[in-house]
Amino acid sequence: MAIPHPREIQMAVVNWLDERYPFTKAVDESLYQRVPNFANAFYYCFGGMVFILVAIQLLTGVFLSFYYVPDAGTPGNSPAYNSVLFIQNTQYLGWLIRGSHFWGANILIIMVLIHMSRVYWTGSYRAPRELNWIVGVIMLLCILALSLTGYLLPWDTKAYFATEVTIRIGGLTPPAQLGAFIRDVLQGGPVVGPPTLQRFFTIHVFLLPGLIVLLMYIHFRFIRAHGISEPL
Amino acid sequence: MADAAVRKRGFTRRTFLGWWIGSLMTATIVTALPPLLVFLWPAPPKGQRKGPLTIALDTPMDQITDGQAVKFSAPTSPNSAFIMADGGGGNAAGDLAFGGFVVKNQGKINVFAINCSHLGCSIALNESAKTFDCPCHGSRFHLDGTVLRGPAPAPLSHLTWKQGSDAKTIQVDGLTLGF
Amino acid sequence: MSDKGVHRQGPGAAAAPPHELPVVEVDSHAGHTLEPEWKRLPIGPDHILYPVVVGLALFPILMGDAGHHLADDMPDDETHPFFPDHFWPYPIIAVVMLVTVGLLSAFVQKNLQLEPVADPRAVTIPRPDWYFLFLFQVLKLGPELIMALGTPAIIVGALVLWPFIDSIAGPRLAKRFGWKRWPVPGRNIYTGTGWLLFLAFLAGLTLWALAGPSFCLPWFSGPVCGA
Repeated sequence: MAIPHPREIQMAVVNWLDERYPFTKAVDESLYQRVPNFANAFYYCFGGMVFILVAIQLLTGVFLSFYYVPDAGTPGNSPAYNSVLFIQNTQYLGWLIRGSHFWGANILIIMVLIHMSRVYWTGSYRAPRELNWIVGVIMLLCILALSLTGYLLPWDTKAYFATEVTIRIGGLTPPAQLGAFIRDVLQGGPVVGPPTLQRFFTIHVFLLPGLIVLLMYIHFRFIRAHGISEPL
Repeated sequence: MADAAVRKRGFTRRTFLGWWIGSLMTATIVTALPPLLVFLWPAPPKGQRKGPLTIALDTPMDQITDGQAVKFSAPTSPNSAFIMADGGGGNAAGDLAFGGFVVKNQGKINVFAINCSHLGCSIALNESAKTFDCPCHGSRFHLDGTVLRGPAPAPLSHLTWKQGSDAKTIQVDGLTLGF
Repeated sequence: MSDKGVHRQGPGAAAAPPHELPVVEVDSHAGHTLEPEWKRLPIGPDHILYPVVVGLALFPILMGDAGHHLADDMPDDETHPFFPDHFWPYPIIAVVMLVTVGLLSAFVQKNLQLEPVADPRAVTIPRPDWYFLFLFQVLKLGPELIMALGTPAIIVGALVLWPFIDSIAGPRLAKRFGWKRWPVPGRNIYTGTGWLLFLAFLAGLTLWALAGPSFCLPWFSGPVCGA
């Protein structure tokens, strides 16, 4: 029996797929669609940069969670703090992964602000793109909430007190009962303590990344439906 | 119009099914939501209990001079905090504090929680000006706890205390946290 | 054995002749003008690198059908294909980003060092990260409830509602000024300047906070210092 050329095997696979879903056509349609030349302006790339940075954050975040221990422990003995020290100082390339997560977050916020400024400046929030602007603002809030919750996770002094101030601000919400409710639910107890770290960890690692991926999907669906906005 | 004709027929099988499926979906949400919300509400951990905490002061009570403030902290083992007796602004009666000051002002002894009434930062004694200063947002308090300048909206919170077995110790109302 | 009772279609189609699967067809290209075949990158379904191309295409496929775009009505010389003409800068950006965060984490470790472990009994000045410094500074300027909750609520509310504010108030203002239309902020003296002032306001507060506790400016309630 003659050994088939690898190209023939590949074509057999592609044909098999094509019979079940218009596969090559979908690939062609998504890759060879034409884009207006004005979309080559440099200021249209900030959204893509934000996407790349979010991907870096998700990747490094997942890897950090292999070593991070979300347990604040008792006064003077904190597994969370020790695990961050372990990642930073002991684990192979731990400084790189944690550093990338940290610096990626900072650059991400800068890029989000620049992207938002660009969208504002070119009037790209106007009809029919209002909903996409609103989705974008919600994603900005998600990213700020991610920064806020991520700030507590190393469980060092500055993180602790910054969180205490933040939660107190949330607790100011009138009426007083609602404020107290918000504070208790965020803190998970009468003071900022181990339950708070547990909650912030869950919000940072499960809730907000899921929400932001969903919102990004909606954001891109809207962009695909509307097309790129005209220049100024 | 056909629409109007349908509407005129009033309550039909279709209307009934609409209400039926609507109420089923509402029932699903109503069944699922309350347990989830209750689950978010934190239960007090085992070992949490109220009671007086015995604190040893750096300066015995009878040696504190007028205008002097002695700082003390809540015990770490077991991890405990003080309960505020009153409060305004960001503090309220029943809130917790991890430290406090015994201060003698014009012959009168007061025990204050360490938290600024603005956003709860720890105040520090300003020795030269004889005030409590908040490092966070610049609030200042007189030694009797009243506000010298904002943004703090209310005086410092008091702690409930009584003299301990000797001059060096006091008993302050507090809470063993249980974690 | 007779043919009766032998399923030729559906589940249990034991004797169905091969290659009778109907090929799924969707409407052709939904009115989009695609790059003509002879101008495309020579990586067709029979090319060894085709799986890479498929990987790239998975993302837009997930994103669903594109609507009718501006480019579909534009002459050929005013458009270009998405791949590779429009796509090529992004891998470069991705590599630059990765190298940047890598270099930053290697050489600017100062920001990554931890303070002592959290101690509620410690006395420190809590200071937020740089992107919340403006809020931190705003807190010092007035009553806490208005400053701490009012300011962010107003900013967020105005941002969310901005497309509607712009589309309702804009044309009315334009009519009052005798303008023919209400231009986008990049060409609009009012909304454009307003945005720059807003950014300058945020930047100013941030710099004020960064200037440190010894940098104080007079304010209604007395001098207010940085953080």
